[in-house]
Amino acid sequence: MSQRKVLQGNIIVAKAALAAGCDFFAGYPITPSSEIAQYMSKEMPKMERTFIQMEDEIASLGACIGASLAGRKPLTATSGPGFSLMQEHIGMAVMAEVPVVIVNVMRGGPSTGMPTKPAQADMMQARWGTHGDHPIIALYPAFSDEIFSETVRAFNLAEKYWNPVILLLDEVLGKAHMDVEIPEPGSYEVFWEKTHEIKDLNIYDRKLGENPPRIDFFHGYPIHIDSLEHDAHGWPSFDAKTVDKMQKLRMQKIYQNLDDIIKYKEYFMDDAEVMVFSFGISARGALAAVKTAREQGIKAGLFQALTIWPFPRAALQERFKKTKKVLTVEMNMGQMKYEVERIAPCDVEKQTLLRANGMPFSPAEVLDAIKEFAK
Amino acid sequence: MKKYEIRYGAVGGQGIITAGALLVDIAVEMENKFAIESPTYTAAVRGGPTKVDVIIADEKIDFPHATAIDFFLCTDQRPYDIYKQSLKDDAIVVVDSHLVRELGDTRHWKVYQVPIINETKVGAGNVVLTSVVSLAVTQKLTHIITYEHMLAHIRHWAPKGTVDMNIKAIEVGMNLIK
Repeated sequence: MSQRKVLQGNIIVAKAALAAGCDFFAGYPITPSSEIAQYMSKEMPKMERTFIQMEDEIASLGACIGASLAGRKPLTATSGPGFSLMQEHIGMAVMAEVPVVIVNVMRGGPSTGMPTKPAQADMMQARWGTHGDHPIIALYPAFSDEIFSETVRAFNLAEKYWNPVILLLDEVLGKAHMDVEIPEPGSYEVFWEKTHEIKDLNIYDRKLGENPPRIDFFHGYPIHIDSLEHDAHGWPSFDAKTVDKMQKLRMQKIYQNLDDIIKYKEYFMDDAEVMVFSFGISARGALAAVKTAREQGIKAGLFQALTIWPFPRAALQERFKKTKKVLTVEMNMGQMKYEVERIAPCDVEKQTLLRANGMPFSPAEVLDAIKEFAK
Repeated sequence: MKKYEIRYGAVGGQGIITAGALLVDIAVEMENKFAIESPTYTAAVRGGPTKVDVIIADEKIDFPHATAIDFFLCTDQRPYDIYKQSLKDDAIVVVDSHLVRELGDTRHWKVYQVPIINETKVGAGNVVLTSVVSLAVTQKLTHIITYEHMLAHIRHWAPKGTVDMNIKAIEVGMNLIK
């Protein structure tokens, strides 16, 4: 029997991380994500897992990368200011292909901004915050059951694809206490496929689109890990042909496995004339609005992205064949709307509902926008 | 009941986040309802105006903030002024009679002016019990949870050595509303 209880969103993240096998946490507490570190600091020692409070967020992610290379499943949790500091190491994790999960409970920015208010303004930072061309996976749950399942999935995807995975939340989802059904262990997948046996020291070598193997380090093999561009063995290499190959290997492990990575939910979309595209806290207001719109005879639907990056392009394009109006609702001054605009054909009308003042969109506000757009 | 919306308004430190959390715990874990509590607070946790929205429903809750409030309990003038928006026409409003003096237009609400903070200090013996007193006031006026469940949960929840004073706080809350 699964247990139905009340938990804070941040605590659901922490519990799900432990359920997914997270055995290492290094972090620097920051509002509105602090309860994740707080919970881990209490629970992990009891489970003989490692919790370290670091001196800052740069060191936090550095410690996580090191732990991952030593065969741990690491987690760090932060908010905007800390996420900014982590960008350098996100690039390191991408380049060296190190699994690590980073939680960013988004608050009002830029800078220290509004610590206690929600925002959805780190969407593009999650994608492009670190420099250089790179693949990234970012997930963003909205409801309590999704907070659990997407946290577990973040660990699975990180392990499977040897890549950092960013789990986005917002202040409302992080701080709210909500009813949640914690599933029984065994009822969800936990991916963990590490190996001590290495046949070939060229650990980065593989076919295009293939997942790399998860090597458990420190078992006697001379393996080189480098943030410099490297060859199949991990040694620095700037040879154009090698670099080209490695860039493509890193990209294609993600982009040839989109079906496995991309997840979204659709509500009332089958005959929708107006599609609301949203995620996180905004999707919750939007869902309530869409339900009311339906009661009033307006054919509205909701496309809720759970995977933000890679962007659920194919699924949206399929919807745009029939639905010719799209309303993007997000708590920022316009970020994901550009992704929607980029892929929506010319015959699709695009509208937005944007705000970054710390106030989530109420169902009534989204409903008004739907009505206006549906005219 | 399909959906019932409750808002607690206070200044930081008065214990309303605890009151909201207790209410949600009882509704979900003892009465098998759906519920969510979302706090709104400022960087100045102590002394700044805060609110907590609690939604209790028979089905999954979409939007976690209150938008049509059935019950509003407030223990300070500033949060009263800021957070009294979104009240339904027939809302129940409970305010601290010493600390909320300017009520404005209350024609559409059923208003109770009671000395919550003072009675908590005098009757229950410690102002930190405001959370439990507020919970009891909510139970008495809304019946959104049962008295028995509230009592059982507080007995179970109260830290060791504080059960009696918490039970006393329930009595104070129940007696505040005649």
